[in-house]
Amino acid sequence: MKKRKLAPKILWILSILTLIFLWAPMILVIVYSFSNNKYGSSWEGFTLKWYVKLATNDQVRDALMRSLIIAGVTVVVSTLIGTVTAYGLYKLNFKGKNFLRTSILLPIVFPSVVTGSALLVFFTRLIHLPLGYPSIIIAHIVFCSPLAVFIILGRMQRFDWAWEEAALDLGATPLRTFIRVTGPQLLPAIMASAMLIFPWSFDDFVITYFVAGVGSTTLPIYVFSQLRFGATPVINTIGTLFVTVTMLGMLAVYFVQKMGKSSSSA
Amino acid sequence: MPVLDDMSASQAQAKKREKRKLTLDITAYLSPIIIIVVVFVFAPLAIILFFSFLKSGPYGQIIYTFTFENIAAILGGGYGKVFLKSVYLAIQTNFLCILLGYPIAYYIARFGGKRKVLWIFLIIVPSWSSYLIRLYALKTLVGTKGTINTLLINIGVISEPIQILYTNFAVTMALVFAWLPFMILPIYAALDGLDRSVLEAATDLGATPFRRFFRVTLPLTRGGLLAGSILVFIPTVGEWLVPHIFGGSKIMMAGSLVAHKFTAVGNIPQGSSLAIMLAATLVLILYLTIKWGGREALEKAL
Repeated sequence: MKKRKLAPKILWILSILTLIFLWAPMILVIVYSFSNNKYGSSWEGFTLKWYVKLATNDQVRDALMRSLIIAGVTVVVSTLIGTVTAYGLYKLNFKGKNFLRTSILLPIVFPSVVTGSALLVFFTRLIHLPLGYPSIIIAHIVFCSPLAVFIILGRMQRFDWAWEEAALDLGATPLRTFIRVTGPQLLPAIMASAMLIFPWSFDDFVITYFVAGVGSTTLPIYVFSQLRFGATPVINTIGTLFVTVTMLGMLAVYFVQKMGKSSSSA
Repeated sequence: MPVLDDMSASQAQAKKREKRKLTLDITAYLSPIIIIVVVFVFAPLAIILFFSFLKSGPYGQIIYTFTFENIAAILGGGYGKVFLKSVYLAIQTNFLCILLGYPIAYYIARFGGKRKVLWIFLIIVPSWSSYLIRLYALKTLVGTKGTINTLLINIGVISEPIQILYTNFAVTMALVFAWLPFMILPIYAALDGLDRSVLEAATDLGATPFRRFFRVTLPLTRGGLLAGSILVFIPTVGEWLVPHIFGGSKIMMAGSLVAHKFTAVGNIPQGSSLAIMLAATLVLILYLTIKWGGREALEKAL
């Protein structure tokens, strides 16, 4: 009997060690963001001055705005394309459908350096697109909309399509059916895909780095350029804010889901 | 028989109409993604495939003469070794992620109880916080002047800092650190969905816990392992940031070669050929995954 209780304990220790491995570096970043050390790499007493510096740093503000705009546009366009495509892939049967599905997978499985370099050569050597917002946003849509397709398609497969048929049978036009019946039912899937794509686009460094050109510094590119000169304490504050925002975002999603569940069961 | 002819004619017409409607529907729903795939995936790939057979001049300009030099440099030379090393590191990372990820996933699924949500939360948060900053954070921890070395020197365990950065160990550790959450979550999902009564049946029929794990639990969570492996293996093969930050110029992966040629050297033909080879490697992996694990598993993993 004693042996049986040993197994969970060993597993617990292993699990805690794994969590420490995953968290220790981030916790250090958070701790050092409040440290007086000017390299941001050891503890020399509490200060908030790096946060003040962050708040007054114009470069960071510009980069943040740029990243937010890019991620915002990417989320809207990719989710729209994802919804329409998933609907088409689910409803229609045609020759070459499997080929199309595999092709849509390609931007997801290709390494970022491949997508980034191929798009860079394509933009600069073939269509002469100016590097900056246009090239970055197109690149983000290219790797984000396939993701939206498969997230939404996955939800569609566990979906009650009888409502849509009923609406059509009762004489609603396809457009009206989509706006009044199918769309609202798909809303959770659409929200889920938007919620995944936003951080995906916001946090992308590699592809953006390739196609950004000079002067279009997004937040990850700013962080990268700072790391090249050796770490600065400001990076610690950005990291801390990243973790905080992620946590708050996840808590918000969790509680919205919980509320949604309790209101639908009531 | 005019009547029959008439019928088949109208049938043919109906068929034609249906076909036209299908074409219309495909255009309506799928043209955006088809444009993306054709214009922004296939065309750029075709361009770099074309460039990979060209030469680069001394100032980074492209010389339009046909050559197999670039491809030969990969297949025969040192670049080929870097590719093999990337695949090897990805396999190693995948294996280590399973080794580290299975116990914690098992613990959460079986003994997590009320704290399940908290555990999952603590695993997801780091994986969704900035990738770049997480890697930098790990570097702060293990660097020559990093926290671990400073601590060990201060308490007198070592007198010289341990060189962790720019070794195979550092690259592997960083890869595991970066991708472990993506292995834990699918395994957890598979374990959590496991039918308890099957496990009880195994015990009732006299299976030892050891035997039960290897004969029942492990095979039943194969889907989770496969999904996790897809999520870990595929991005690891083409990784650039991890070898860039933790390997420096000593440990290179295929992704670092591509990035180096494009961003540092500016040799587009060589960079293109490396990118094409990397893309081909991934297409081969994708093909094997679909063949071995099925398209469903792949799309579900996403």
